[in-house]
Amino acid sequence: MATESMFAWLGRRIKSQDTGSVMLVAPLAAFELLFFVVPFLILVRMSLNESAQAGPYESGLTLDAYRSVLDSGLYHDLVFFSFKLGVIATTIAVLLALFYSYAAYRATGFRKSLLLFSIILPLLTTLVVKTYAWRPLLAPNGVLNDVLMGIGLTSSPIQFAPGMFGTVVGQVYIVFPYAVLAIYSVLSTMDWDTVEAARDLGASRPRSFLEVVVPEALPGIAVATVVSFAWSVGAYAAPSQLGSGQQTTFAMEIENLMLTAFDWPAGAAFSLLMLGGMLVVSLAIMRLFTGSIGGVQDV
Amino acid sequence: MASVTLSDLRKEYGDLTAVDGLDLDVDDGELLCLLGPSGCGKSTTLRMLGGLETPTDGDVHIDGEPVTDQPPYERNTSMVFQSWALFPHKSVLENVAFGLKMDGVGSDEREERAREMLEVVEMSEFAESDPEDLSGGQKQRVALARSLAIEPDVLLLDEPLSNLDKRLREQMQLELRNIHDAVETTFVHVTHDQNEAFTLADSIAIMNNGQIEQIGAPREVYDDPVSLFIEEFLGDTNLVDATVASVTDDGVVADTAFDAEIEVPTGDAAVAEDDALTLSFRPEELDVARASDADGGATVESEPTTALTGDITDVLYRGSSVRFYVDIAGESLFFEQSVGADTEFSVGDTVEVSWHPSDLLAFTGDGERVGRGGE
Repeated sequence: MATESMFAWLGRRIKSQDTGSVMLVAPLAAFELLFFVVPFLILVRMSLNESAQAGPYESGLTLDAYRSVLDSGLYHDLVFFSFKLGVIATTIAVLLALFYSYAAYRATGFRKSLLLFSIILPLLTTLVVKTYAWRPLLAPNGVLNDVLMGIGLTSSPIQFAPGMFGTVVGQVYIVFPYAVLAIYSVLSTMDWDTVEAARDLGASRPRSFLEVVVPEALPGIAVATVVSFAWSVGAYAAPSQLGSGQQTTFAMEIENLMLTAFDWPAGAAFSLLMLGGMLVVSLAIMRLFTGSIGGVQDV
Repeated sequence: MASVTLSDLRKEYGDLTAVDGLDLDVDDGELLCLLGPSGCGKSTTLRMLGGLETPTDGDVHIDGEPVTDQPPYERNTSMVFQSWALFPHKSVLENVAFGLKMDGVGSDEREERAREMLEVVEMSEFAESDPEDLSGGQKQRVALARSLAIEPDVLLLDEPLSNLDKRLREQMQLELRNIHDAVETTFVHVTHDQNEAFTLADSIAIMNNGQIEQIGAPREVYDDPVSLFIEEFLGDTNLVDATVASVTDDGVVADTAFDAEIEVPTGDAAVAEDDALTLSFRPEELDVARASDADGGATVESEPTTALTGDITDVLYRGSSVRFYVDIAGESLFFEQSVGADTEFSVGDTVEVSWHPSDLLAFTGDGERVGRGGE
């Protein structure tokens, strides 16, 4: 099956720390240089300019923009909320993805194809459409409330969206397929005999899952966590379409700085500070996971 | 240590019947080999014994207790897998200690017992190794130690030696025998290799089409096969088509494809004239001499004979032995000699092949042995 072999290929890639394919990466590297590194340098330069009353910026060489971002109590709250959303959405998405991947790994025939295809399918639609589709479902007069009131679980509509609930659902929905891709691809290389061996040696089903399946899936879980977390902290589509005013992430504020407030240096400085912060956090997560992979002394 | 009883065991996968009403008793402390060609249901039987498959029908008793519906983690059986299935994220020591950890044995004690077990399989110096770094033979030992560490009532071995090269396999067969003698646990060993079964087993159960065709001590099974399937499966032999020419007091006279009538003392035989037969001429029972050395020579038709003359058509060197093919009246017959035997034959030589009639085995058209047990 084509999808399966694709996952297996990805799994081997993620597992092996092979650096021999540098040449294959060269075209991508050139692309990245042109469309990431160069704009990034422009952004760095912009963050050192001065804010202006008229126009987006005034040329200069100052750290004022950084100072104004770091001093702002409002921005602290936005960053805190962004990280909170990141932790919640990542935890839910990765846990769901782990069980989903295990179910797909265990399934055979049509059911397996269905589970894997269901993951690919949402990736064929754009982010905005996917997120927007949740609104009629979660709105106070939406489908979910109709159902809940119809079966008598609630007498008045619940505000799922706009609000925190809708934001989390939307964000989990966005990152879930990528989390499954990362975990399933690693899990698909697992030898089922090892799970049977664990059960044969006295491990119950949940225990064998913890002792054998989770360690095997760990490289995939690490990748899924970093991808989900980085994306959710920087969430934009889900909070702006499914959140209320209280669900404002730093990404939404940067958009505001750039396109509405016309304070480019502050927007650039905020972007770079968050980029640096996320880089540190992502590395810490990877470090945490790879550290526990090597923990073979837990007799 | 425990006895095992399988009664009327059945496993179906959709339309496919893997195990078809199998009955088997394994004595306490016995080393039983389940032998059969691939697809005969032997691994499925073993997996049902270990609880890794649920029988469609029938019962499994271990030490007299019914365990048919018990999951594998509640049964005190332990399986050594064909792939060995070592946990890749745990050290060798952790692998061996795993079952004890699941049993709730304390950290110090399980480490101590795991180390003892590694000593039994001579893998002590690899205790801290990553299992992925081990060779096949070493992995096999670790898998064995891991299974033995929980002191199972029954140790199940699912072709654990089949991924090893020949020399290592033979060495491990002997070691497995020694370990069995040392731990006095009931072993059920699945294999498709008859030599392995003969080397290891206290008794051999030969499976075919999801059922046990014959069970007994290795020697007994080899000397007294119940069916043509067993005769073919246990070793290379010459099978020759024949029909019953006449039934005598102590057996039959068969009209063979050699254009000669041959007497087979089958004892009381439930066959009639003109019934189809298959005769087995085991190569090790044939005496061969040059035709010129032998007196007489030509066979007389319509009179039972114990010797036939033919020409050598092919000589195959097989390492320590040489196999010769003889053409007798258009039918091919082979025999073997050790390299360096007194008589060397070459292609074109005319030889006389003779045998003792009592060494011949006859089977009916549907593969049943003629007159088994009626000597």
